[in-house]
Amino acid sequence: MTDRKRMHSIPDLEAKGRKRLVLIVEDDFVNREILKINMQQEYEIICAETGCEAREKIHAHSDTLSLILLDLNLPDLNGLDLLRELKQDMDLSKIPVIVLTADTESEVESLTSGASDFIPKPYPRQEIIMARARRCIELSENRDLIRWTERDHLTGLFNRDYFDRYAEQYDHYHRNDPTDALVLDISHFRMMNERFGKAYCDEVLRRIGAELFTFVKENGGIACRWEADTFQIYCPHREDYPALAARVAAAASGPDEGRVHIRIGVNPNVDKSGDMERRFDRAKSAADMIRSSLTESVAYYNDDLRQKELDAGQLLDDFRGALAEEQFLVYYQPKYNIQGPKPVLCGAEALVRWKHPERGMVSPGTFIPLFEHNGLIRELDNYVWRKAALQIRRWKDQLGCSVPVSVNVSRIDMLDPDLTETLCGLIKDNRLDFSDLHLEITESAYTEDSKQIKDIVAGLRNQGFKIEMDDFGSGYSSLNMIITLPIDLLKLDMGFIRSAFSESGDTGMLKIMMDIAHHLSVPMIAEGVETKEQMLTLKDLGCDIVQGYYFSKPVPAEEFEEFMRQEEK
Amino acid sequence: MLTVESLRAWGANVDEGLGRCLNNETFYLTLVKKAIQDPSFEKLNAACGAGDLDQGFDAAHALKGVMANLALTPILNPVIKITELLRARTVTDYGPLLTEITSARDQVLALAE
Repeated sequence: MTDRKRMHSIPDLEAKGRKRLVLIVEDDFVNREILKINMQQEYEIICAETGCEAREKIHAHSDTLSLILLDLNLPDLNGLDLLRELKQDMDLSKIPVIVLTADTESEVESLTSGASDFIPKPYPRQEIIMARARRCIELSENRDLIRWTERDHLTGLFNRDYFDRYAEQYDHYHRNDPTDALVLDISHFRMMNERFGKAYCDEVLRRIGAELFTFVKENGGIACRWEADTFQIYCPHREDYPALAARVAAAASGPDEGRVHIRIGVNPNVDKSGDMERRFDRAKSAADMIRSSLTESVAYYNDDLRQKELDAGQLLDDFRGALAEEQFLVYYQPKYNIQGPKPVLCGAEALVRWKHPERGMVSPGTFIPLFEHNGLIRELDNYVWRKAALQIRRWKDQLGCSVPVSVNVSRIDMLDPDLTETLCGLIKDNRLDFSDLHLEITESAYTEDSKQIKDIVAGLRNQGFKIEMDDFGSGYSSLNMIITLPIDLLKLDMGFIRSAFSESGDTGMLKIMMDIAHHLSVPMIAEGVETKEQMLTLKDLGCDIVQGYYFSKPVPAEEFEEFMRQEEK
Repeated sequence: MLTVESLRAWGANVDEGLGRCLNNETFYLTLVKKAIQDPSFEKLNAACGAGDLDQGFDAAHALKGVMANLALTPILNPVIKITELLRARTVTDYGPLLTEITSARDQVLALAE
């Protein structure tokens, strides 16, 4: 039973003038009939004489059942066991239970086992029975209303709006207890959605929700579905999170054993003086460390990560000053056409470097993901495009020649409504040809919002720009999609080169990728080529253009001019 | 004949029992007839005879609930006593209490004939 179904049943009942449904579980005919006659004017009554019959009826009517009256002495099982069983079930636990008992000792045990109230035997006056039943149903329905607003409707866990509030409340009562903040998600969830569809993925999320519900019920703490496939857990400190990851993955995979891989980022023993958001940001940072790993399932936030975050924060602070002071340098890495008898310089890729006044050269691997994450990459890309366009102009003026320069266009740039205008403006202002500037768009950008991106890229291509699909083979594009994309060149993901020239030496995949390029009649570029052997193998396989340390590392514009001069000779 | 008056004369707290049945006399009398046919009487006798105090307690406990709800006091009082002895698994002679229960029940059975 879902919250949604249950909540809808309340107004529906009133609208149709139907009575709320009450189940009386009582094996004795006389006791059962007395309760029935007392309640049937106000409620629709169904009865069960045994625990098994009760279980069946509860499951059959779980969406509409408003109350259960439960005798403890049933012929086949103890009523308290049935009560505990119901309270362990995420959905059934919401149905209020009033225990019927003749023993004072059982009253306490019933209440601690999850009963909402008890009715003693012999039964009290009808008014008392009815008042207790009404109160239980009312409290339960009010709780449902609250649950409706505070719960994620797919999984039944808290939603993000209420999670922080409950986490703070948890702290209030566990001030000195060591507590962990966890961020849990599914590796490659987007790909799963693409492959298996939304309904399947919703079921996976539901299973994860149920497993986390059981986990916090058994171990204490609270859990929520934060967004999409991301869950947060705030719970007493423990060490065995790999076991939790395995348990959740097994539950999520269900019959498709091993299909779902779970990642957990743990911020252990949180500093409770910091705000709640920060505690989970740190757990998220830990989870991000194992983003692409399928072998690791748990990562911990530690001092190294903390230092990395501080460094990242500093770089972000330095960004604007660096842009104004032109600390970002544009380097050029040559591209060679290798299909002729001799490699011929045929282009360059513009790559950004940061010459930081205090840190020296900062690796692009450090700052580009950072700027991509918070959108600053747009300003940086604009800067690089401008510098590259100016440089092409300069080469044309000074050397009387140039080569096409490709620049990176991030997914975030694609969201800029002025993108086409900006790029066309650069061509016009620098008196360049559209073919002078190639645009590299990563494959994953196409798969995220393919229709919108496709339209934008098609527009740019119609203007005359050459489009290169970067990191081809890494973004899970379907072949069907690639055929329809507006592209002029495919740039092979570096991973293929690495794996083809690793110890295995298996170039089978490379061959397949080349065949795809040939089928589409677009040239293939391979980057990250480091040795002559690699270059020759690629040439044999039919690769058209090569870029990499074998020819040259990325160099400043002045050094790049040497390649052009050599070519002239 | 089993009537509210005859039950009252026998010693039942009829007003209390009838109250639980929303003062519906026919309904109350139907339940009384059903209650005195309760197989738990036989189970109680058999269990106590066999010395099975666990089964004896279950049967007595079941009877106690029914007799209390219908306020059949002459049966209820000895049933309460035997229930508490059996709850404590007291090893004792249950004969006199069983006789008291059977005799009171027989009186109602006679009224019902």
